[in-house]
Amino acid sequence: MKKRIALLLSILLTLSLTALAGCASKQDGGSDSSSGKVYYLQFKPEQDQQWQDLAKAYTKETGVPVTVVTAAEGTYESTLKNEITKSNAPTLFQVNGPVGLANWKPYCYNLKNTALYQQLTSPEFALKEGDTVYGIAYVIETYGIIYNKTLLQKYFDASWSSIKALNGIKDYNTFATVVREIQQHKKDLGIAGAFTSSGMDSSSDWRFKTHLANMPLYYEYVKDGITSTAAVKGTYLDNYRTVWDLYLDNATVPRTQIASKTGTDAETEFATGKAVFYQNGTWAVNAVTGDGKLSADELGILPIYIGVEGEEKQGLCTGSENYWCVNSKASKADIQATLDFLEWVVTSDTGTTALAEEMEFTVPFKKAKESVNPLVKIADQMIKDGKTPVKWVFSTMPSEAWKNGVGAALTAYAQGTGQWKDLETAFINGWKTEYQKVHG
Amino acid sequence: MSAHALTRPRRARKGNLAGSLLTVFFSLLSVAYVFPVALIFINSLKSKAAISAAPFALPDAGSFVGITNFLNGIASGSYPFYRSVLYSFFITLASTLLILLCTGMCAWYINRVNSRICRLFYLLCAVSMVVPFQTVMYTLPQVANRLHLDNPYGITVIYLGFGAGLAVFLFSGFVRSMPAEIEEAALIDGCTPPQTYFRVVLPILRPTVISVSILELMWIWNDYLLPYMVLDRTQYMTIPIQIQYLNAGYGQTDIGAMMAMIVFSIIPIVVFYLVGQKGIVSGIIAGAVKG
Amino acid sequence: MADRNAALTPAAPLTPPKKRKKAKQPLKRYAVFFFLPTAAAFTLAFLAPFLWGIFLSFCEFFTITDATWIGLDNYRRALQDVGFLYSFGFSALFTLVTVVLINVAAFFVAYALTRKIRGSNLFRTVFFMPNLIGGIVLGFIWQILLNGLLGLYGTSLAASTAYGFWGLVLLTAWQQIGYMMIIYISGLQNVPHTMLEAAKIDGATSWQTLRKVIIPQVRPSITICTFLTLTNSFKLYDQNAALTPNSLPYKILEDGSHIKTTATIAKNIVDQFNENYFGTDGIAQAKSILFFLVVVVIALLQLYFTRKKEESA
Repeated sequence: MKKRIALLLSILLTLSLTALAGCASKQDGGSDSSSGKVYYLQFKPEQDQQWQDLAKAYTKETGVPVTVVTAAEGTYESTLKNEITKSNAPTLFQVNGPVGLANWKPYCYNLKNTALYQQLTSPEFALKEGDTVYGIAYVIETYGIIYNKTLLQKYFDASWSSIKALNGIKDYNTFATVVREIQQHKKDLGIAGAFTSSGMDSSSDWRFKTHLANMPLYYEYVKDGITSTAAVKGTYLDNYRTVWDLYLDNATVPRTQIASKTGTDAETEFATGKAVFYQNGTWAVNAVTGDGKLSADELGILPIYIGVEGEEKQGLCTGSENYWCVNSKASKADIQATLDFLEWVVTSDTGTTALAEEMEFTVPFKKAKESVNPLVKIADQMIKDGKTPVKWVFSTMPSEAWKNGVGAALTAYAQGTGQWKDLETAFINGWKTEYQKVHG
Repeated sequence: MSAHALTRPRRARKGNLAGSLLTVFFSLLSVAYVFPVALIFINSLKSKAAISAAPFALPDAGSFVGITNFLNGIASGSYPFYRSVLYSFFITLASTLLILLCTGMCAWYINRVNSRICRLFYLLCAVSMVVPFQTVMYTLPQVANRLHLDNPYGITVIYLGFGAGLAVFLFSGFVRSMPAEIEEAALIDGCTPPQTYFRVVLPILRPTVISVSILELMWIWNDYLLPYMVLDRTQYMTIPIQIQYLNAGYGQTDIGAMMAMIVFSIIPIVVFYLVGQKGIVSGIIAGAVKG
Repeated sequence: MADRNAALTPAAPLTPPKKRKKAKQPLKRYAVFFFLPTAAAFTLAFLAPFLWGIFLSFCEFFTITDATWIGLDNYRRALQDVGFLYSFGFSALFTLVTVVLINVAAFFVAYALTRKIRGSNLFRTVFFMPNLIGGIVLGFIWQILLNGLLGLYGTSLAASTAYGFWGLVLLTAWQQIGYMMIIYISGLQNVPHTMLEAAKIDGATSWQTLRKVIIPQVRPSITICTFLTLTNSFKLYDQNAALTPNSLPYKILEDGSHIKTTATIAKNIVDQFNENYFGTDGIAQAKSILFFLVVVVIALLQLYFTRKKEESA
């Protein structure tokens, strides 16, 4: 008898497991098919919490379920690739620009006739081809060289400094002078180095292989009067090298050690006043301000000068690599729910407040509130002062593999285990090779 | 062979110089062996700046942060850590139980019936053990999703399928060495096959049950890629997945919290080992020799 | 190496059915109960994705639902991929080094620990411990450890292929010696006492005893451990991905493309999946099938040589 009970129990266990499996997922699919739902797969971990909160607020207000998932670092593309073919696919995802879009076009809903598109302050913030609007930029970001105002003021006030005010820094040479003098007198200033560590770990290497590489690329495009290319010439690579050397030789750590330094390291060095300069952008403010860190009004930002003729007029690097795309293969109800959600985000008081004050975004929408981000304010002021913003042309870089090659060459050069000509090969020849691979 | 013999080595004779030297040598080696793990424990108590600046230093007044890292690890992100812990425990235990229940029966069946299908299945099981996970990395999640197996209940079925190769293999090795007479006697006495299996066969299979459960437990608890690919990421995570999530990008790596989460993930399996050491050792030996 | 392949030993196929009476007949009627659950799960979780994967290796696709058949093109491109061939060599060399190192070390540790040593139990426990920890975590731990050490000399894991390679060897050895040690210990304890005593009486030195008596007796253990280390090392992914996540340093080629010089073959395949442009996933799928075939060949060769040795013994 006992055995029979045991037998029965074991069958029950097997059945219940399979049944539960079936039920659990049936409930997911069944309950919301009528009203539509939103599943947002996003790739900015620093804003994960804010999106979660915003999603909750929307669900509370409208009853429409919104799920926000942030993909782990370096895995966004593969996660998206994997998720998008599932039955519960993301209804809202991101691409980083025209290159990213190329893969995802078949999955992009045409946003031309949507309220979201109408809300854009200018059509230039949309990813368009002819009449089709594939994606819409939702955040405009700016980067440059963030500096610690208190420490820099100490430098200006010091007896040994040769530049005495902020307006004395107007091109590469003047900036390099400041950097070198600070590095020489780092003990007097009580710091570990002029620059934070240029970490080439994957949590930080994008600052140099992508964002810094934007500078030589931008000037080449300007000189040649183009906006993208199949074969880059590398006209300003020597300037790239000069700036890279400046970062490496005047930093908190020896140049041989950057490979294992992380984004957190640089962030901590800057936040605790161990370094004066930190190449990063508006998104980094939250991480370096707060208790035991800097205060928001201690932050300033300078353009990245690389020693090009006429760079006194150059401003900060401003652009977007964050475009919203709506999954065209989602159900009609889900697409509508997603569009409604997005409209709410960019027009409602809750939404615009969250964007401007929680995420500190500058957004290109008509009803946008002013961002509280201190660096955004400086960037706006620079534009008013007649400085020309540097465009984000890194979105035209042919592939991730290209960026990785450049990053590896930067690291090897820094460590002394590789030559600069390897970087030139990776940059120029690699561009052509990767471009051909991508474009067939 | 018996596990008991293994855990009871011959005692050292007093005054054996070579023996003493070896003891010293192995003591030093043991310290070196423990060092990497100790490093994690030490660093889990330090601030993230201190971990990066001086990974080998013991925590001091300046760098000691108590349980802050553990709290950060638990609270970080939008997904509370206790949920990952629960899912990890549930998935590991339920999958192992399911594997034990089903594959033992299956192995007995295919060995006793031994039809052409049985032999083919056995062969496929052998093949499945050498297949690299990369081969099914992109197709498995699709299959799992379509069959609604992308949740903590369903993934036990996936683990049954994936763990079947090894388990059937091990059970078969044992079943083959069992005399069929006892079962046949039971059958003749009027027991149905299920009764025979649970009353007669399963008790004899006990050593293999232990071996299989240990190998599967260790595998599933530490597995990262399979649950990461298969589970519905909007709802479920396991401990290894969440550790990897803490490693999220754009300069947000909280290395302190990461250390703390690793400590969390190591403790249960170490406790399990210290408690069940004897079984684990015999499990490995059985795993290696049978089949 | 808490890995299900741990028990992968040369397969002894089921013997053809002996003519036994109908005892098995009642059992046969219970196929649904005994056989079906495992067989169904196995088919769904393993067989279907595996066959689908083989199909996809002949297709071009970006997401796997929009595949188009292109024949052997993926295989051609996989074999022309210098990075893939390099990783193949890297894995082969790594496998060679670790198989020898781990087996020699594990054997001698086991040999010493079965002799007169104080604290032998404690040592066994300690040496086995690393096997309990998952590969991702182990790789991460060793990355911190090795970068910390190399940092003292002003360098890092990323500076040289040799660091990445030997770091991985060290980590793998550290992890697996304890596991193999346990198998060797059990083998050593099965050596009959009478044989050892006979050798002693014959005046054999301990070296002679080891070579002429003990090693032949533990040959089954050697076979198993060689097989386990061989497949583990060749299929290694987690440890490699966590120890050298970017697989630095790169070798920059003339055309500007690069070879990741510290990537194992499995890492090369996963990286290819993660690269985000059209048409490369099929190549990755083809690579994974080639990878599978190589592993099968290794397994069969091992089986062949084991059989041969057993026959000659």
